[in-house]
Amino acid sequence: MSEILLDVQGLTHHFRLSKSAVIKAVDDVSFQIHEGEIFGLVGESGSGKSTVARCVMNVHKPSAGSIYYQGINTCDPAQFRKNRKLLQTSRQFIFQDSTSSLNQRMRVADIIAEPMQINHVKTPRGSDREEAAFQLHYVGLDRSYLDKYPSELSGGMRQRVTIARALSMEPRLLVADEPIASLDVSIQAQIINLFAHCNREHGCSILFIAHDLAVVKYLCHRVGVMYQGKLVEVAPTRELFENPLHPYTKSLLDAIPIPDPRLERARVWHEFDPEQFDRNGTMVEVKPGHLVLKGEKA
Amino acid sequence: MDNQFVQVGIRPIPAPQAKKQKWYQGKPLVSMAVLGVIVISCLLCDLFIPKDPTYMDLYHANLAPCAEFWFGTDTMGRDIFSMIFYGGRISLFIGFFATVISTAIAVVFGAVSGLMPKWLDDVLMRLSEIILSIPNLLLIIFVQAILGKANVLSISLVIGITGWATIAKVVRTEVRQIRSAEYVVASRCMGAGFFHILWKHLTPNFVSSIMFMVVMNIRGAIGAESTLSFMGIGLPLEIISWGSMLSLSEKALLSGSWWLILIPGVFLVVTLLCVTNIGNYLRKCGNRKVSNL
Repeated sequence: MSEILLDVQGLTHHFRLSKSAVIKAVDDVSFQIHEGEIFGLVGESGSGKSTVARCVMNVHKPSAGSIYYQGINTCDPAQFRKNRKLLQTSRQFIFQDSTSSLNQRMRVADIIAEPMQINHVKTPRGSDREEAAFQLHYVGLDRSYLDKYPSELSGGMRQRVTIARALSMEPRLLVADEPIASLDVSIQAQIINLFAHCNREHGCSILFIAHDLAVVKYLCHRVGVMYQGKLVEVAPTRELFENPLHPYTKSLLDAIPIPDPRLERARVWHEFDPEQFDRNGTMVEVKPGHLVLKGEKA
Repeated sequence: MDNQFVQVGIRPIPAPQAKKQKWYQGKPLVSMAVLGVIVISCLLCDLFIPKDPTYMDLYHANLAPCAEFWFGTDTMGRDIFSMIFYGGRISLFIGFFATVISTAIAVVFGAVSGLMPKWLDDVLMRLSEIILSIPNLLLIIFVQAILGKANVLSISLVIGITGWATIAKVVRTEVRQIRSAEYVVASRCMGAGFFHILWKHLTPNFVSSIMFMVVMNIRGAIGAESTLSFMGIGLPLEIISWGSMLSLSEKALLSGSWWLILIPGVFLVVTLLCVTNIGNYLRKCGNRKVSNL
């Protein structure tokens, strides 16, 4: 396996609501992303996927644990400041809601050129505008969109613009926080192919967060499953789908509909009982690369 | 035979003629024209004023409007027609410059307060409330006393640094709403600094809501200068402005020379009215939605 690009170790993030109430949004999560790999993170709503993404991007400061990007501990303020430029250019974030992640008052050309202006990057294609046109072309939109405002675009086009903005810095790590959740199915397919293309052509690693398992199965090389802030299972995609070990993963995979009504009706759904969930388990490597949270109950 | 039914169904409905909006419709034309004439003639007054506005012609003191002195002369024999435009320059400059100062302070103060953690936000907002709670005129007199003898720059500075609190509060509220928007978070992730975020993301979004207040601030500053000069603590008599001209009016009331009060007063009121009207128009513009949905 190639070298490790992102190493998340024991990441914990608590939201303190009041003196007594604490939400453990992310609880002791560890995983690695290798160079040129698409790592999928799945789980139900509120399982802490987005918080992991935001901690990786230094939006939230984790309560405990450390995140190493190319050997740099990004949670350490001193190391972060020292490598600021590298971290801010080579990691890029794509949000779920493209409407709110684009400034309504900026034109598409300015939006795409924004990271280049902030980091004073010399554009390989002459002006910022040419660079923006190139990136737009890359994500499948033509030059005529350069002078449009985000409110004039459809949801899929807006999401393409956010991807173009992220790609304009030629990142090595893309953190995509449910980039397809708000799109309809035909647009989802286009965006997913775009991600797969980026990964194949440029070798950029992607932390891909989704709740749609079919998409994850198609796109990702390895998958992590999250439940109530814990990572319950990590495995290569094929291994996970063929041989799920944790009861929650089984129940999640059972929820994928089968496009055959007869099989679908005959199927038994293994419902996961939250009572059975043991938070204090440890990750055990069952097979090479296949880790499962093993507790006393499950 | 059944053609009739088909015909009814597909009877072409004439498309409603879209009302063509002329560029000037719905804009405060009269106000803009009058204000434009006043501002331009104040700026270019050297070209057409018949007399030296500072020259005291004691033979012709306190004359009512006549053919030679169109608006009359004051008690020191200065030509009021010349003084109006010459002094208008000072008044408008004070209005403009004081507003620039107070808006700059307000935007930075409000944005800092809106972006910083809660305790600092509380401190800054309480500070602005302390300033708001002191009567404005008292504050101006106080700062003026510290700065010493009044001149045009010092008086605009004084008016500017006392009038920013309300705008800062509006800016802070708007920034609080926008600051957790994902495009600001995205910009932060890319490494944007405070002023980049302020200028590129925050300002375009709150400019419409403070535009009205900024324009009203021009009005307030011109008014404040006149008030101060009228009370004799603003500009000295030898610096001509609409306010200092009005300060002569107490004597004029006794001698019955109405033109001394009426003419600078009318110019002041008309200017303020035009500015208010334009500000009101900007407020209405700002309330329009940007989305096309």
